[in-house]
Amino acid sequence: MSATSAEAVVSPRARRRRRLRRRFTHRKAAVIGGVLSLLFVLVAVFAPLLAPYGASASDFDAVLVSPSPAHPFGTDELGRDNFSRVVIGSRASIVAGALATVLAMVIAVPIGLVAGYYRGAVDTVIMRVNDALLAFPFLILAVGLAAILGPSLTNAALAIGLSAVPNLVRITRGEVLGIREEDYVGGAVASGANDFVILRRHILPNIMNTLLVQATVLIPAAIIAESLLSFLGLGVQPPTPSWGVMLSAAQAYLDQAWWLALYPGVAIFVATMSFNLFGDGLRDVLDPKALR
Amino acid sequence: MQRYLLKRTGAALVALWLSSVIVFAGVRALPGDAALALAGEERDPAALAEIREKYGLDDSVLEQYLRWAGLALRGDLGESVRTGLAVSETIVQKLPITIELAALSVLVGVLIGIPAGVIAASRKGKSADYVSNAVGLAGLSIPNFWLGLVLILLLAVKFPVFPASGYVPFLENPLGNLYNMILPAFVLGTGLAAVIMRQMRSSMLESLDTDYVRTARAKGLSEWSVVGIHAFRNSLITVVTVIGLQLGGLISGAVVTEQIFVIPGFGNLIVSAVFQRDLPVIQGAVLVAAAGYIVVNLLVDITYSLLNPRIRIAGDVA
Repeated sequence: MSATSAEAVVSPRARRRRRLRRRFTHRKAAVIGGVLSLLFVLVAVFAPLLAPYGASASDFDAVLVSPSPAHPFGTDELGRDNFSRVVIGSRASIVAGALATVLAMVIAVPIGLVAGYYRGAVDTVIMRVNDALLAFPFLILAVGLAAILGPSLTNAALAIGLSAVPNLVRITRGEVLGIREEDYVGGAVASGANDFVILRRHILPNIMNTLLVQATVLIPAAIIAESLLSFLGLGVQPPTPSWGVMLSAAQAYLDQAWWLALYPGVAIFVATMSFNLFGDGLRDVLDPKALR
Repeated sequence: MQRYLLKRTGAALVALWLSSVIVFAGVRALPGDAALALAGEERDPAALAEIREKYGLDDSVLEQYLRWAGLALRGDLGESVRTGLAVSETIVQKLPITIELAALSVLVGVLIGIPAGVIAASRKGKSADYVSNAVGLAGLSIPNFWLGLVLILLLAVKFPVFPASGYVPFLENPLGNLYNMILPAFVLGTGLAAVIMRQMRSSMLESLDTDYVRTARAKGLSEWSVVGIHAFRNSLITVVTVIGLQLGGLISGAVVTEQIFVIPGFGNLIVSAVFQRDLPVIQGAVLVAAAGYIVVNLLVDITYSLLNPRIRIAGDVA
């Protein structure tokens, strides 16, 4: 192990680009994931046009009806069309996923870069506060924010994004700590590059792999987290449909209406799976080390 | 090495102190009169005045914090406004249940995740890699509370193999306890397995790509010792950290899993306290959760430094 620390493999850039392009055409899973993710976004945007019924349109002559041509996903305890509610419920998920991920990245990456690069007192202060924040599981933080701000979709997304920050800071910093010891960073310092250039051109590109992995984990995780908070009653409030709200209501009808417990979950699964596939493919394409 | 340990322990103590400040400040940030919140259902002015007196709510915030923290250090977290029981006692009762659930879940996660990750990495591009990847992705994409619902639907409602819910104390009936815990531990463990598998695969791929692995191969070492010793040992480091970081996820997951399977554990305590606005219980439980997380991650970091001399030296120099 002692002989391993000094060497690092850096392949020439041109060769890497050529491999990237060739690689991209071979990633079927990534393309499928990307198409499905896009489809999911489109469904969320055009949900009111796609849903055959309104989200709250009750039909008391068709309560807890099993899946049929008129109601492909069945109806719920108030006779509302399950399919329409699943379609419209996608909006809460996409809002939470996007908002939380952007928020977490924008806050965490600069902090992690600064902490890992400058080390010393700056790092110590940042990391100690970070360690303390990291100690609060995200659900606890979300619960706290919900109690302070009142439960809603926006607050749930805020809570998810903010609670992802400490972990992302820690990961970013850890990566930077390793990379700043590399010879090329020392070389850049010796050649008189300023800190911004070093962070931007030598360190950031080398942690992109990790950040991308984190982002592609974060979007689907935020989608799941939103459904989870809504499931517990801390996110989207009924009667507004959200996949978590629907699953929560389905619990009471497990032995009578399996379709209520099935379809919202399948929707969460397909949405998160698409983003995960897309992200995985993207990572394989962009990761300079995984190309061989 | 000793210096690193001291520094790291010091940082953990600071984190513990800061987290107590966050918990205290968080509860004070709640809108409305703290006395009203602490009183629960009680609205009688005389009772409110008594609570104000008892908790010293008219003192300065600093005095209140010091008194609360002082009591907490001695294990006194106050009393539940709902049950009147000591918060610390309630937590001590509930905690072992959740620790058992979490431990079983980590077991599930490690037993599935590490072998799957190693196999995927060493067979990169072959069918075993694709299968592990697909299953890993599915594990990450399935929300565990939905997996819980589906498993209850299939294995408890349609085909009654396992109990849908309920909890049997381990000391009363060890087998019955484990029987009840199988579904919840599986539900909570699958997500962790997926995270571990993916991390293991990507670290292994990185390790397999290094010069020392190429050298090991060039020396003519067997594939087993290349993958199993050279690459595996270096990849394990990141996995240890990931498991430590996942503890928060486990606590969060336990909150939901306990809710679905009606297990009277720590997570269940927090959720019911939130919906009942039982502030002393929330405060105490959150503090205990944070403290547990800090201690476990201290242990993880110490393990990390033992496994990776580079980090240790960097810590000593800095």
